[in-house]
Amino acid sequence: MSTSMGEKEQYKNRIDLLQGTLDMLILQTLQWGPQHGYGIVQALRLRSGDVLQVETGSLYPALHRLERQGWVQSEWKQSESKQRARYYRITAKGKKQLASDLGRWERIVEAIGSVMYVKPKESES
Amino acid sequence: MKWIPSFGSERRKHELQEEIDAHLQMAIRDRVARGETAEAARQAEMREFGNIALVQEVTRDMWGQSWLEQLGRDLRYALRQLRKSPGFTITSTAMLAVAICANSTVFSWIDGTMLRPIPGARDTSELVSLQRGERNFSPTPPFSYLDYRDLREQNHTFDGILAYHHDWITLTGGAQPERAYIANVSANYFDVLGIRPVLGRFFLPEEETRPDAVPYVVLSYSLWKTRYAGDPAIVGKSIELARHPVTVIGVAPEGFVGAMPGIRQDLWITLNPLGSSVWRITHRGGGAVWLNVVGRLRPGVNIGQATQDLDTLMHHIVTAYPDDHLGDNRITLDPMWRSPFGANGYMAATLPILLAFAAVVLLLTCANVATLTLVRFVARRRELAIRQSLGANRMQLVRQMVLEGVVLSIVAGAAALALTAWTSKTFAWFFPANSNPVIVNGTMDYKVAIGIAVFSLLAGMLCGALPAWRSSHAPAVEILKAESASISSGSRNRRLLSGLVVAQIALSLPLLVCSALFLRTLKNLAGANPGFEQGHILTATVGLNIAGYTGDEEQAIRHKILDRVSALPGVEVASFTDWIPMTLSHKGEDAYPEGYVPHPHEALQVYHAEVGPRYFESLHIPILEGREFTPDDDEKAPRVLIVDQTAARRYWPGQDPLGKKLMVWGRAFTVVGVAKNSTHMLVNETPEPMVYMSFFQVGYETIVQVETAGNPADLATPLENAIHEIDGRLPVFDVRPMRESTQIASSFAVIESALAGMFALIGLVLAVTGIYGVVTYRTQMRTHEIGVRMALGASRVDVLRLVLVQGLWLTGIGLALGLAFALGLTRLIVRLLYGIGANDPVTVVSVVMLLGAMSLAACYLPAHRAMRRNPVTAIREL
Repeated sequence: MSTSMGEKEQYKNRIDLLQGTLDMLILQTLQWGPQHGYGIVQALRLRSGDVLQVETGSLYPALHRLERQGWVQSEWKQSESKQRARYYRITAKGKKQLASDLGRWERIVEAIGSVMYVKPKESES
Repeated sequence: MKWIPSFGSERRKHELQEEIDAHLQMAIRDRVARGETAEAARQAEMREFGNIALVQEVTRDMWGQSWLEQLGRDLRYALRQLRKSPGFTITSTAMLAVAICANSTVFSWIDGTMLRPIPGARDTSELVSLQRGERNFSPTPPFSYLDYRDLREQNHTFDGILAYHHDWITLTGGAQPERAYIANVSANYFDVLGIRPVLGRFFLPEEETRPDAVPYVVLSYSLWKTRYAGDPAIVGKSIELARHPVTVIGVAPEGFVGAMPGIRQDLWITLNPLGSSVWRITHRGGGAVWLNVVGRLRPGVNIGQATQDLDTLMHHIVTAYPDDHLGDNRITLDPMWRSPFGANGYMAATLPILLAFAAVVLLLTCANVATLTLVRFVARRRELAIRQSLGANRMQLVRQMVLEGVVLSIVAGAAALALTAWTSKTFAWFFPANSNPVIVNGTMDYKVAIGIAVFSLLAGMLCGALPAWRSSHAPAVEILKAESASISSGSRNRRLLSGLVVAQIALSLPLLVCSALFLRTLKNLAGANPGFEQGHILTATVGLNIAGYTGDEEQAIRHKILDRVSALPGVEVASFTDWIPMTLSHKGEDAYPEGYVPHPHEALQVYHAEVGPRYFESLHIPILEGREFTPDDDEKAPRVLIVDQTAARRYWPGQDPLGKKLMVWGRAFTVVGVAKNSTHMLVNETPEPMVYMSFFQVGYETIVQVETAGNPADLATPLENAIHEIDGRLPVFDVRPMRESTQIASSFAVIESALAGMFALIGLVLAVTGIYGVVTYRTQMRTHEIGVRMALGASRVDVLRLVLVQGLWLTGIGLALGLAFALGLTRLIVRLLYGIGANDPVTVVSVVMLLGAMSLAACYLPAHRAMRRNPVTAIREL
C-alpha cells in the first residue's frame, strides 16, 4: 500500500502550490450548505463553468487538514441518492478564515492586476 | 516499526476508505446516468481519481500525530542517539545509578528505622515517647508505675498511654536454656499500639498488676515459630520462663517486636506477674522508677498541647510527693522517629545528614553528566541545526534532548532499584553482635521505590534540560555556514560548561572536608583513652538470676565460678560485674548524698554498676583514695561504695569523700574509695557521676570478667566449660572480648566515616574527571588556534600556560565557592565530631590542597598534549 518516497514528495509540492486557493474555494463552496467531497468537486466545476477541475488527490488532504484546523466539521449522512457519505460543514472559525482569505485574494488580484494592466509611460523625455 | 499502537487510528483509516468509496460510487452513478456503461464508468472514474493509496496516505498525513505517537517517535530517536555513543551512555548511566543508589540506600535505612519505628503498629505518627527530666541519648526508664498511672488516667490529650520495662530472661524447659528478651507491659500495651493477636488474646486491665499462680505470657511471632514450631494449639499451654511455669495466652502478629524502636522483645508479661514486684508497683521514687512510657495522641492534639497537659499533671504529682521527685521533672515528648529510647535517637542524629551528603553526590553527578551531554550536543550541533532548518521547532528539539536524559536516568533508576534491594540490607553490618537485641536494618518498600523514581526523574531533568535548552539556542544558519569546528557559536555553551565544572569542584570540596573530619573523629575515638584497659579482657554473661536459683544458691555458685575461673591457665585476674562500659547501656538510680544541697532542678541521678573484688585491678582503673572492694564486702557487711572523681567533686567538693554516706534505695552506703574517671557510654560523653557498689552485696546480673595473659578470644571456650562444670544447665551468653562489645560505642562514627568517605571519593573522582574532560575538550576545540599561535612564534611554555590558566581559573573559583559551602555544611556535623573542630584549619587546608593538586594534574595532561602538538598538523586540523 505504500508508495515510493519520490512520488509522494512531488505530489505534496503540487498541493502546497494550490493549497491557499483551494482552501478558500472549498470554504466558499461550503458557505452554500453542507456538502460531501464529490459534491464539492461538482459544485466547483459547475460554478466555474467547467474550468476548475479539483483533483481528488488534492481535495481530500485539504478537507482533512481544514477539519483538523477546526474550519470545517464533518458528519456521516445519507445523500439524496441513499448513499452514505461524509458531509462537511463550515464552522464559525472557518467563516472568519474565509473572510480573511478572500481579503488577501482580492489584494493579490488587485496587485497582479495593477502589474499586468499598467500602461508603460509614453515618453522618457 | 510502530512501537506504540495509536488507538482510533484504525477506525479513522477505515472511515477514509469509506469516504473515498462513496465518492467513487457517486461519480460512477453520475456517469452511468449520463449514458456510460457501468464498467466503462468505473474505469474512467478510477483513472480520474488517481492513485487511491497515495491519496489516502497523503490525507492521513494531514491528521497529525497524537502525543503518544510523538513520544514514541522521540523515544526511538533518543534510543538511536544513545546507541550511537555507547561510551557516553554507559558511563553516564553507571554514574547516575551509583549516585541514585547512594541516595536510595540511605533513604532505605531511614525508612527502615525512623519511618518504621514500631513495625506493625497503627499510625506511628500519633505516638510519642515520654521523658521526664533531662533529655539525653539512651536515658534510663523515667517513670514509676504510680506516676504513670496518674498521667494515664488524668490526661486530656491522649487516646492511650502504655508503659513497659525491658529486660532479659532465659527460656527453660527445653533441651538448652535460651536467652529471650522480655518486657513487663501495661495491660493496654498492645491496644495503644494498635496490635491484634494472631492467636489467643492479649492482657486484660485487671491483670495489669495482679500476680497469678501461673502468670500469663504473650509470645512474639518469631519466637512462636522458632522455639515452638508454630504450634497452632500453643494458647493455653504452659511453658517455662527461668524455671517458672507460665501460660501462653496469645501470639503477637508477624513483624511486631515491641515498642522500643530498633530493640527486639520476644515475649511480654504483666507488670507484677509473680507478685515479686509489689514494691515497684506501690512506690513512686528510687528503684520504683522503672517504666518507659509511650502515648498515642488524641487526633487533632499537637505535641505542644500534650506536653503542657502532662507537665501540669506532673507538677501536681511532684507537689503531692516532693520527696520522691527531687531534681528535674519537666516532661518532654518526642515523636517516635527521634525517640531517645531505643535506636532512633542515634539514627536521627546521623542518617538525615548522610542523606544530605548523598544528595550532594547526586547533584555533583548530574553536573558531570550534564557536562558530557553538553559536549555531545555541541558535537551534534550541525545535526540539530539541520533539523531546526527542516522545520523542527525549538520546543521539539528540547523535548527530544531532555528525553535522552530521562531515558538515561530511568535506566539508571532501574539499576539503582536492583542495587538498593541489596544495599538496604547492609545497614545491619554496622552493628556488631552485642548483648543488646539491636535489630535495625534498611527496608526496601514502595516509599524507597517512589524515592528512586523521584531522584532519577530529577536527575534526568537536570542532566538533560539545562544543556538542551542551551544548545537549542544556537542560531541554525550560522552553524550551518561555519565550515570549521569553530566554537564561536558556543560561547554560551562554554560559559555553561565552565559553570558546571565550577559546580563540581564546589560540591566535592565540602564532601571531602566532612569525610576528612569524620575520619579524624573515628581515629580520635579509637585513639582516645577510655580510662580502662580493654585489650586483654574477656567477659561472659551467666544467666544466674534468671535461672531460678534461690539467693543463697546464687551466691554459692558465684563463689565457685570465681574460684574455678581464677584457676584457669592464662587468666590473670577474675572478677564480677553486672555492667560493661561503652555498650550503649547504663543503669541509673536516684541517690541522695549526705550533706549535699542540690541546685534547683538538679537531677540527683547517678550511674551505677555492681562490681566484684579486683574489678578495678583487672581494668587498670586506678583507685585514687581508699580501697577496692574485697570478698568481705558481702551481704553481711555494711553497705559500701566507691565513687568516681565526677561524683566526688560534685557532691563533696573540697572535702574528703571517704566515709561520706549516700542514700540509694532508701539505704545508706558508705564511700570507701574514689576511682579515677573512665568512659561510661561514649568517648565524647559529658561525664556523669558514677558509683560502684559491691557485687556481693547488691549484684543482680552476673557477668564474669577476666583479664587474660594472651588473646582473650582464646579463653572463651575454656571459660564457658569451666562454668558448665559447676552446673551444666547454667546459661552462658555473650562470651566475647571486651573490645568487641565496646565497638558498638563507635558504630555511628564508623557509619558516618564509611559513608562520607565513599561519597567523598565519588565526589573527588567526578570533579577531577569533570575538569579533565572539559579542559581536554576545550583544548581540542582550540587546536587550530594553538597551531596558529605556535606558527606565529608562541613558545611551548606559552601554550602550556594558555591551557593551564584556563583550568586554574575554574579550579580557583570552584574551590572558593566550595570552601564557603563547606563551612556551612560542617556546622551540621559539629555534634558528631570528636577531638576536632568543625573548621579544623589543617583538615580544610589539606583538603583544598588535595583537590587543587588533583585538578591541576587533570588540567596538566591536556595542556601537555597541546604543547607537544606539531603546529603544522594542528593548523590543518579544522
